Amino acid sequence: MQKESEIRDPLILGKKSYHDITLDVSKPVEGKANKYWWILFSISFIMFIWGVLSMAYTIGTGIGSWGLNKTVNWAWDITNFVWWIGIGHAGTLISAVLLLFRQKWRMSINRSAEAMTIFGVAQAALFPLIHMGRPWLAYWVFPIPNQFGSLWVNFNSPLLWDVFAISTYFSVSVVFWYIGLIPDFAMLRDRFNEKTSPMKKKLYSFLSFGWSGKAKHWQRFEEVSLVLAGLATPLVFSVHSIVSMDFATSVIPGWHTTIFPPYFVLGALFSGFAMVETLLIIMRKVVNLEAYITIKHIEYMNIIILLTGSLVGTAYITELFMAWYSGVEFEQYAFLNRATGPYWWSYAIMMGCNVLTPQLYWINAIRKSFIATFILSIFVNIGMWFERFVIIVTSLHRDFLPSSWSMFSPSIIDIGIYLGTIGFFFVLFLLYARTFPVIAQAELKTIVKSSGSEYKNKNND
Amino acid sequence: MTNTKKYWKGLAELNNDPIIEKLAQNEFVDELPVDEFLSDPDINKSSTSRRDFLKFLGFSTAAATLAACETPVNKVIPYVVKPEETVPGIANYYASTIYDGHDFASVLVKTREGRPIKLEPNKTSTNARVQASVLSLYDSSRLKNPMKSGEESDWDTVDSEILEKLNVISSKGGKIALLSSTIISPSTESVIADFSNKFRNVTHIQMDALSSNGMLEANLENFGVRALPTYHFDKAEVIVSFGADFMGNWGDPDNEKKYSKRRNPKHGNMSKHYQIESTLTLTGSNADERIQIRPSEQAGLLSNLYNALNGSNPDKRIAKIVNSLKNAKSSIIVCDSNDKDVQLLVNAINNKLGNYNYTVDMSNPSYLRKGNDESVAQLIADMNAGTIDAIITYNTNPSYTLVNADEFNKGLSKVGLKVSTSLFMDETSSKMDYICPDNHNLESWGDANPSNGEYTLMQPTINPLFNGRQFQDSILTWIGSSETYYDVLKNLYSSWEEKLHDGYFTMNKIEYSLKSKFSVPSFSIPSSKGIEFEVSEKISMGDGTQSNNPWLQELPDPLSRASWDNYLTMSASTARDLGVKNWNVSNGALNGSLVNITVGDKTLENVPVMIQPGQAIGTVALSVGYGRTHAGKCGDGVGHNAYPLLNGGIAEITLVEGIHEFAAVQLHHTMMGREIVKETTLADFINDPSSGNHREKYYTHDGPKTSDQVTLWDDHDHKTGHFWNMSIDLSLCSGCAACVVSCHAENNVPVVGKEEVRKSRDMHWLRIDRYFSSEMTKERSAEEKISAIDMYSEMEDPSENPEVVFQPVMCQHCNHAPCETVCPVAATTHSAEGLNHMTYNRCVGTRYCANNCPYKVRRFNWFKYSDNEKFDYNLNDDYGKMVLNPDVVVRSRGVIEKCSMCIQKIQEVKLNAKKSGSKVNDNDAQTACSSVCSTNAIIFGDSNDSSHEIYNLKNDPRKYDLLDHLNVAPSVFYQTKVRNKS
Repeated sequence: MQKESEIRDPLILGKKSYHDITLDVSKPVEGKANKYWWILFSISFIMFIWGVLSMAYTIGTGIGSWGLNKTVNWAWDITNFVWWIGIGHAGTLISAVLLLFRQKWRMSINRSAEAMTIFGVAQAALFPLIHMGRPWLAYWVFPIPNQFGSLWVNFNSPLLWDVFAISTYFSVSVVFWYIGLIPDFAMLRDRFNEKTSPMKKKLYSFLSFGWSGKAKHWQRFEEVSLVLAGLATPLVFSVHSIVSMDFATSVIPGWHTTIFPPYFVLGALFSGFAMVETLLIIMRKVVNLEAYITIKHIEYMNIIILLTGSLVGTAYITELFMAWYSGVEFEQYAFLNRATGPYWWSYAIMMGCNVLTPQLYWINAIRKSFIATFILSIFVNIGMWFERFVIIVTSLHRDFLPSSWSMFSPSIIDIGIYLGTIGFFFVLFLLYARTFPVIAQAELKTIVKSSGSEYKNKNND
Repeated sequence: MTNTKKYWKGLAELNNDPIIEKLAQNEFVDELPVDEFLSDPDINKSSTSRRDFLKFLGFSTAAATLAACETPVNKVIPYVVKPEETVPGIANYYASTIYDGHDFASVLVKTREGRPIKLEPNKTSTNARVQASVLSLYDSSRLKNPMKSGEESDWDTVDSEILEKLNVISSKGGKIALLSSTIISPSTESVIADFSNKFRNVTHIQMDALSSNGMLEANLENFGVRALPTYHFDKAEVIVSFGADFMGNWGDPDNEKKYSKRRNPKHGNMSKHYQIESTLTLTGSNADERIQIRPSEQAGLLSNLYNALNGSNPDKRIAKIVNSLKNAKSSIIVCDSNDKDVQLLVNAINNKLGNYNYTVDMSNPSYLRKGNDESVAQLIADMNAGTIDAIITYNTNPSYTLVNADEFNKGLSKVGLKVSTSLFMDETSSKMDYICPDNHNLESWGDANPSNGEYTLMQPTINPLFNGRQFQDSILTWIGSSETYYDVLKNLYSSWEEKLHDGYFTMNKIEYSLKSKFSVPSFSIPSSKGIEFEVSEKISMGDGTQSNNPWLQELPDPLSRASWDNYLTMSASTARDLGVKNWNVSNGALNGSLVNITVGDKTLENVPVMIQPGQAIGTVALSVGYGRTHAGKCGDGVGHNAYPLLNGGIAEITLVEGIHEFAAVQLHHTMMGREIVKETTLADFINDPSSGNHREKYYTHDGPKTSDQVTLWDDHDHKTGHFWNMSIDLSLCSGCAACVVSCHAENNVPVVGKEEVRKSRDMHWLRIDRYFSSEMTKERSAEEKISAIDMYSEMEDPSENPEVVFQPVMCQHCNHAPCETVCPVAATTHSAEGLNHMTYNRCVGTRYCANNCPYKVRRFNWFKYSDNEKFDYNLNDDYGKMVLNPDVVVRSRGVIEKCSMCIQKIQEVKLNAKKSGSKVNDNDAQTACSSVCSTNAIIFGDSNDSSHEIYNLKNDPRKYDLLDHLNVAPSVFYQTKVRNKS
């Protein structure tokens, strides 16, 4: 039996028994969807279809349907890619790093955060594919034996490192997530009646891999979780470091920066937590999880956002300092141009949303408010999208030779694809919310008697 | 056009029998026996069950689908009887001549499997328009048959009708006018003489779209010869040009080559070039000093110059010039004026300076312009008076190029017989009764006598594509000659085969007994108010003859860098006064205001304005060659026709509502204080040949080091084998853009059209960056303590009278290539010979290489540019595709392409050497750009061969690598620009 200090805020509110938790978690899966779910799902689905059509048009006619040009050869495509990859980071951090640090508060949110990771990485993975001029040849980036003679991939290319980093990250995340899901699938399996819902029974029987809750199962479960957490932890840092090397290893002023790996990882955690907040604040309403996702959870995350936001801000200032200190006119101009050139507004949005707004979390009332958090999390999501836009577009549009300087303006297809991935993400997430146990209930039950408000109160009495 | 002949199937149809109509209505004469079939009692006993039926249906659908999936078969048809000289895969070269009435060039025509695909310079240099003329051959809007009253006809009909009418006119003693461009072909002149003899009363009038009448008349008066002098710019110490764009469009095609001979600072005797003009020309942009004047001041300044040379006080603007001229041993004064008196004055100045028989050669005059404005005016008057009975036009388009085209058209309608020999249904030929389409130069025989004693021959390099006939053969047919033009031509020259092989020769030099009677008209400098207008001529479009040529339309103007357009050029301060603006929209593309401009009684509406640094304040210019209405699908409706305003004068300009969308390939005009084009002055250069060329250093713990000393790269071994290098001398590059078109032709570079160029998606493998100087410099900002932000924002604005530099940039073939390391699939790799290869087939199109290219020379195929309705240029045309170089693949959608250093040409040289067992002669290996560079600014060769010029250039103190601090170790390097100024 664990003991938790009384002065710590409870992580589970209300009078919850083990069975109550089971009921609360299985309710969205067993019951019918409410109105909010359908509204959100319809909007997301329309966006998703729009995105699919935009992608089909791109593949059908050419990348020329985007706003790119001879100078700015990447813009929204890679911005979106990095943004989505970044969003994925919080999930792994919550489920792996916080597991290793024995942070109990992760238990109510890790499942959804991890789902967000997987869905986010799936969106991200779309972009390297569709941004190719000839996506039907995308398999050439894999080092697979071929009949083309001695053709092999170029191991010097950061894009190839991306391929490995993202596929590793994606597969480890999926396995980790799935292992955690097995006891909860088994719970759902046990709740479905073979007579009344045979399909669901079969499905969850299959998904739970014959979990029977034996002590040996639990022991293995704990061990695998720990091993996977250990495996996933370095991935939190490696993936975005490698993504940042797409830029850091290049020669373009504004990209060619050694600070990028830690800067990108911090930015990723920052944006990832913001997205977790955005999702959870919606989800606790839509699937009635108010008791499990408490203001305490939100506050913990806000503190991480405050920390990473400040570090990201430090990175921004460091970049400016290094540009000045380097004495290289191209570097200096790149940063002056970012701040004062034709894209000054995107730099201002980035600075405002990522550096200034999180500082509001120093204020207790804002840090402990669902509404304020929701609004600020949107700001951070926007700011982090613009951070990638600033890095990619403002560095490219004015590089070395002024004769090639140009600008970028998105086409309707660019916008369609971006919104399409947001739609796709929410479609996946909403379907997940209706078919998966959205809270790791088996784990959560381990803390109900130490961190549940009812038990805390009891102990206090 | 359609054939009205009717065929009938039988007598019933001929007789309009009603049964025919009835049968036509009723497709199935007999009822289909459906009932009979279904009522068959045995139908259910059929061995084919419904299930079987579906099986058959399924099988046949699948089979049909599979059959349809087969790759289309393109048949390669072998020669039944192979022509002896044609070996598939091996190019044949024929010496020939290009002359379209405006441009003249002696060329070598490269043909592959019987198709001319590329022109190389032979005797003379070739400009961008000559380079592009090979595509005009394959213009599918050329007339395919002789035309009669706008309908396609056949030669027999057309000939017999024309002949009949000519005979009637001739017998009545009616007047026949033959209106042509300048004729420089002696054989054509003899054919025309025969024509005149046959039909008597024939007047042959020659006209030039952009006339040199004033100069011709002045020379006639001064020397007794109606011709242009040959200028020896290579002998002149001081060159003073009053508006004459002699390196671009004015005068002899070899002016630029001769000029460049004395522009290489290495020999120390660099000429000093002053340009006094109002509109920035290519020549003006190359001048050491450029003085901006109003067009009306030209004559006065010339007068002032003449008087100053005689000792009076010069105008302060030209005081320096007077000094230079007085101290110079030799000089040249040229002037673009078409006023005879002004040209008399220019001749007097040249005479005063003792330039005749040294730098200005009248004993060997040039015949490239013979047009006579007076006879053209007389013709128009006669036509309007109704005294001309027949007109035949040849190689000219007066309804478009004449300043008074309206009057010409009015007169034309009064002419009884109107015959055009144009290749196109152009503005003039569309008003003609008959069009007897001429053949393109590359399909024709011919000769040319461009200057005294110099001759070139023209020979067909392909069978005529269409049912045209050479103009000369048409004339010979009409006079009933038994000879063909080929016979006439061949009889004119002895040792024919040898001359035909060489393409050029010298003979029959005329010893002119020149008189020398100078007069000095005097002019004063008027103090005119208001905005003055003059027409200009663009490098790409010339007089507009080839305006249906997509290569030329897409060729960015060297100065404004805009394509697919003409526009009123205006200085920034004049624009400010008029409220005219240029601005960039969100994707960077350039927009401009529209104005209405009235000059005299002619008004052009909604003309876009381009703010052009270098345009004199208070003056505007519009280039000719645009605003065609009958050019074809590429040229029609592009820009505005400036010919009606040819005479210039005071312009009324009013800003009107509306926005014009420009398609410019360069949106930023200054170097932003960066050392991109390194510059020095002649004086500094003589003191220190490496002046202005100091490498940037990195500060390390071992002291300052150049980038190659702190490298992390393992170098490729370039000591053995070839090491292909290219040197580009920025002192010699004039920005003429012939190399750009040559590259287009050699490498099958697609044309993408105005909309795509506007989106910064031009596909040029080779571009000529143009930078203007700015009033703001780093030195000034340091002196005046201006903040970096203000400094950079002011640096973006070019000066009103800027110094101009041109810098050709193609793939630099870096030996530490940033593109090669980032490609995930190794589609771009390095060769052992110092070249950066691009494997199109391997490219998946991530565009990472293009992002990481510091020179931004990589081009992405955003769309499929061939066989695509949306890109309806030569790659979407069966004729247009005939110009494609079979040695270079047409790139597919989604791949990156870039300069390959004409690898196909290098490979050919290597293979030839291997076959003959000899050493590779790297002088034979030329790229498309280096082979057409008339100033020898671009030199290509193997730097491991110490006997080659490139070896010395690589070790020249002027040599520098672009963006040297990156240590990308390019195989292309530049030579510092040296200006002859203090």
